[in-house]
Amino acid sequence: MNARAYESSTSAAALESDPLPIGARAARRRNTALFLNFFRRELTTRYLGSTTGLLWALLHPLALLGVYHFVFTTVFRTRGFGAQSFLLFVAVALWPWLAAQEGLQRATVSLANYAGLIRKVAFPHELAVYASVAATFALHFTGYVFVLIVLAVFGEPVRFEGFLLALPVWLVLVVATAGLALALSALQVFIRDIEHVLMPVLMILMYLTPILYPLSLVPESLRPWVAANPFAWIVDRLRAALLDGRLAVEWSDVIAVVAALVLFAAGRWIFRRLSPYFEDFV
Amino acid sequence: MSIGPNLLRLDAVGKDYAKVEARGGRMRLVFDLLCGRGAQQVFRALSDVSFDLNRGESLGIIGENGAGKSTLLKIVAGVIQPTRGTVQVRGRVGALLELGSGFHPEYTGLANIDLAAALLGLDPDELADKREEIIAFADIGDHIREPIKHYSSGMVVRLGFAVATALAPDILITDEVLAVGDESFQKKCIAWMERYLAGGGTLLLCSHSMYHVQKLCRHALWLKEGRAQQYGPSAAVTQAYLAFHEEKSAGAKQPIPQRAAAAAGVYAIQSLELRPTDAIDHGGELLVEGEVYSPDHREPVVLIGIVRADGTPVYGVASDMDGAALTRIDAHRYRYSLLLPHLPLLPGKYFVRAHALDPEGVRLFDNVERPLVVKGETRELGLVRLPHRWRASVES
Repeated sequence: MNARAYESSTSAAALESDPLPIGARAARRRNTALFLNFFRRELTTRYLGSTTGLLWALLHPLALLGVYHFVFTTVFRTRGFGAQSFLLFVAVALWPWLAAQEGLQRATVSLANYAGLIRKVAFPHELAVYASVAATFALHFTGYVFVLIVLAVFGEPVRFEGFLLALPVWLVLVVATAGLALALSALQVFIRDIEHVLMPVLMILMYLTPILYPLSLVPESLRPWVAANPFAWIVDRLRAALLDGRLAVEWSDVIAVVAALVLFAAGRWIFRRLSPYFEDFV
Repeated sequence: MSIGPNLLRLDAVGKDYAKVEARGGRMRLVFDLLCGRGAQQVFRALSDVSFDLNRGESLGIIGENGAGKSTLLKIVAGVIQPTRGTVQVRGRVGALLELGSGFHPEYTGLANIDLAAALLGLDPDELADKREEIIAFADIGDHIREPIKHYSSGMVVRLGFAVATALAPDILITDEVLAVGDESFQKKCIAWMERYLAGGGTLLLCSHSMYHVQKLCRHALWLKEGRAQQYGPSAAVTQAYLAFHEEKSAGAKQPIPQRAAAAAGVYAIQSLELRPTDAIDHGGELLVEGEVYSPDHREPVVLIGIVRADGTPVYGVASDMDGAALTRIDAHRYRYSLLLPHLPLLPGKYFVRAHALDPEGVRLFDNVERPLVVKGETRELGLVRLPHRWRASVES
């Protein structure tokens, strides 16, 4: 089913991405309700398809953390993590990375999951991507807070006042991820390879990002290259806030905020250019 | 925007679908779309369709498969945007496109009602009122708490119809849903429709059922190959459409020329001759013979049938049923010949049909027919004379 209401008009000239030019307020209310419905759908169908699904989704990063701990401290005996343990050092960066990675992967295929709706109902297609990213982030952010609390209970020096900076950093991450997800999901509708290329690319990117190692261990000559990775900024700022308690705002923060907004605007532009053609290709 | 008296106005609406052939075509398409110049290779699904729809004047849309009916409905519903022209809608549109459109199979019926409500932009309060109404109309009992994927198709239609109608749309778009559901639900739907129409509701109905179009719609639009072939009172348009179909199917009963059959790679009857030609006496001897084309050197199966003038089948037999072989003329041509001695057909008008089938006798490719008049004087009833004998009753 679907509805279009009062005084709407569509034409070839005005290719708006919102197919429902109802009253702006009514449209916003509808879109909010729809987003919440999709958001719940993402959490329930993806994770609660099996009863232990949600639990497993929270445990998966924990298991990864355990394996990394074993490999890097027991097998390779890596040093140089400062005052805190390897566990805390990696945990601070691992959850945001997994949120971004999983968010991108899920969002990229999200439009295919909504194919039935896209073919038959008028609604802003973006909502499917937002719901997908938001659900992944909600889940991993919960896991993040939970793990930091547990580590603090076991005596790790977590600086909880650091969340004053960490929260905005997560926000920048979610905006940038959403922007990238919009572009990738729209392209995926036409070019099915994206989904398959994304996985290895993200894998490689993870090892090139100082998540499992500190930047200080990277040889001096290569350091600027590794640091140029945008995700390195996320990792760096989160560690500064939650491990060292440094809350001062830097120039790089301004650049990151602008970059995230530009990425989002660009992703949305691409999405809106392509979305009128989804119905035929999805 | 100008505010006219119409509920819906389409002005020179056209829709192109991007055509993608080569593997690199999709890349190319994305590039073109991002540059804002639209798809370069297109299929014109709809061109230059204009009509006005006033409140209370329902419109039926008819046409063959692929004529652009669904595309038109999707444009009105706002699912897709027209490539050319403008669409103006004043009022709430409820669309029921295909079976259970917009339902999520993993969700329960109730959760799907909530999703539908969110898509329609209903308030939670409004929904609370409507929910009972929807559940009552769908009338599927406790299944409402089960995932839709366990539903029968009839139940999905019931729920879909209940949801689409619950919010009293100004225009209701439906796409062949009246044909599904059991008899009692169909009656319920028709009754609802009639109430809805009597109450000033407007229907945009896409149907292959001329009966429904005539019964429910004042006007009809006949789409042919994406263009409006005829628009007007529904009785006139549906009759013209039916007449077109009769001519079309009559045309299909001539032999397919050998060149066309070769090009299409199909088995085709090349000729069908009757002896005597077109009239035979009751009980006489009928010879049916002709040539059949084979595209791949294999011997086709020929099916000969006799039907009464109104299409009632009388008898049919295929060469493979009797294990009969055709006479080979050359690699592509075979001759068939069937003798029917003592033709038991009662006097009247019949057609003799010949069909070409593949050698497996599975796929039917061609249909050629010839009229046959059986002459005679008898007061017997029916199609054929059955062997019979009256017996004197014997009392024991």
